[in-house]
Amino acid sequence: MITAGIDMGSRTVKVVFLEELKVDGAPQLRWGVKGKHIMFPEDLDADQAADKAFEDALQAAGLSREQVKKVVATGAGRKQVKFATADVTEVGAGARGAVFMCPTAKTVVDVGAEEGRGVKANAEGKVVDFAGNEKCAAGAGAFAESMSRALQLSLKEFGEASLRSDKTIPMNAQCTVFAESEVVSLIHSATPKEDIAKAVLDAVASRVCAMVRRVGIEDEVILIGGMVHNPGFVQSLKGALGVEKVHLPDMPEYVSALGAALIAAEGTD
Amino acid sequence: MSGLFDQFKEWYEKRHDYARAWKSRTGGQVVATMCTYTPEEILIAAGMLPVRVLGAHEPQNVTEPHIFGMFCPFCRDSLAQGLLGRYEYCEGVTLTQSCIQYRQAFNSWRMHVPTVKWDYYLPMPNEVQSRFARAQHYAEVKKFREYMEGVIGKKLPDADLKRGIEIVNENRRLLRELFEYRKETNPRVTGVEALYASITAQFVDKEEHNKELKRVLAELPKRKNDRPEGIRFMTIGSENDDVSFMAMVESVGSTIVIDDQCSGTRYFWNEARVQDDPIATIADRYCERPACPTKDYPAHTRFDHVLKLAKDYNARAAVFLQQKFCDPHEGDYPDLKRHLEANGIPTLFLEFDITNPLGPFRIRIEAFLETLGEEELF
Repeated sequence: MITAGIDMGSRTVKVVFLEELKVDGAPQLRWGVKGKHIMFPEDLDADQAADKAFEDALQAAGLSREQVKKVVATGAGRKQVKFATADVTEVGAGARGAVFMCPTAKTVVDVGAEEGRGVKANAEGKVVDFAGNEKCAAGAGAFAESMSRALQLSLKEFGEASLRSDKTIPMNAQCTVFAESEVVSLIHSATPKEDIAKAVLDAVASRVCAMVRRVGIEDEVILIGGMVHNPGFVQSLKGALGVEKVHLPDMPEYVSALGAALIAAEGTD
Repeated sequence: MSGLFDQFKEWYEKRHDYARAWKSRTGGQVVATMCTYTPEEILIAAGMLPVRVLGAHEPQNVTEPHIFGMFCPFCRDSLAQGLLGRYEYCEGVTLTQSCIQYRQAFNSWRMHVPTVKWDYYLPMPNEVQSRFARAQHYAEVKKFREYMEGVIGKKLPDADLKRGIEIVNENRRLLRELFEYRKETNPRVTGVEALYASITAQFVDKEEHNKELKRVLAELPKRKNDRPEGIRFMTIGSENDDVSFMAMVESVGSTIVIDDQCSGTRYFWNEARVQDDPIATIADRYCERPACPTKDYPAHTRFDHVLKLAKDYNARAAVFLQQKFCDPHEGDYPDLKRHLEANGIPTLFLEFDITNPLGPFRIRIEAFLETLGEEELF
């Protein structure tokens, strides 16, 4: 049996298909990823973006719509997914997917484009408590993206550059716009780009860490969301969290879609 | 029967029109009040209409020259309404001491709102638990009475004060009776309706409000509620009259069954204990009411009070509606959260501003409902 999770994020649409694994021909309560797909919509029509992402994902996985028994949507635009059987918040889906990938981790840190959050989950991947950035992007990927533009670096270069720095430059601004002027001041004072990159990522990590502290930090932490692809951010966050076991999944931006697909699977007969 | 609370809703939405009409009908003075510790009994005895200043929940750009941007949004929004002339019908403005941000908003109001003819600051003690507090507050309420006698140009006899106490006490009693219905399984009074009833008590003529409450209470036994109850929530915080937020919360699988807010229960919860001396009756009532965090030290009396409300009304969980930068409530939050959670009441924290982002708040409420684990997806 196959189920799907579709994560309508603020920047990208992610689709994951799950297939029930069978051992010696008997169905087991284990699931494997059948296929995944990411799409960067070119326009703001969420209906079309959901449809197109799903069709492309079916094609990539070699599946037909009829083969997918249930679809659960998540993410900021989850209500726009008309063909979904049900929807779940990104908080619940992220926790479910993260604990599935790393059952020993009970603290989930999810940093996407527009939102960062800390989630405390139980052994079943159910949310016990959560905290997120309320209204500004300072604890999220969009902040890092904006600062990389100010430094005229690609996001990849930005993350890598920060790893070359061993300086700690405090950034006081918690607002993206003011932080950009702080970055510009550092550029004018001939601060090396790698030091500025590290300062920015330290600031994001510190803000994310403060949110996670609100729900409590357990011994093992799993990081999910697109920002996990930024090695500089990961290093800064590891330092801020101060825990030894920080798990980095292979497909961090798909974890919420995976969680939604798992929830879909749990709802099937 | 769906329009049972329509009168309260109309009063809320047209509160300025109501006050102007009251003034033209009665010829009485209207007084802007800035905190629910204001002894309204004296204003009512003086033939005035106390009108609590509320915000408009819309962006404004007039308060920056007067109060700091990191003052709580309710104070800024309240001051903005004065500066924008929305309370031009109020002759007087008064504040009873609660928090310093409110006091600054009041000071700016009396200095910069040109229609103000008189103002009065009532320095109620914050440490109401002190053994000296009641004596001090007695003296302050007495001074307020004398000041009001100066404003109206005649003595305020004890009989008038006693009548004021009786009217306000009846209002408190009727609101308590209305809130009793919220204890029911699938209550026939929603959180939005209860808010309309309690918030309008703060600016509608009490006798008129009492009459409407009695009409609603007479109809309520016949009312059938066919909306799903969902999760029973309590709300906690300072002032909240964000009706669209409350409606959103009740539209996604929950019912708000009780609150600890000054727009709700803290305003009316305890009646005044009637004594021979009306000043003592009034002064003691405000020292004894469920405390706002500004007046709840050294002992935290409100923690057990809030927990009792949650238990009495069978609230499954509590949502903190925290006005951004409200220090007194922020100070209580970590311990109160711990107290509730240790006693089986999970909590959610939301930070309120002048305008609130309903979309992100909806996600948080829905995620909170998911954590409470009673939502059926399929």
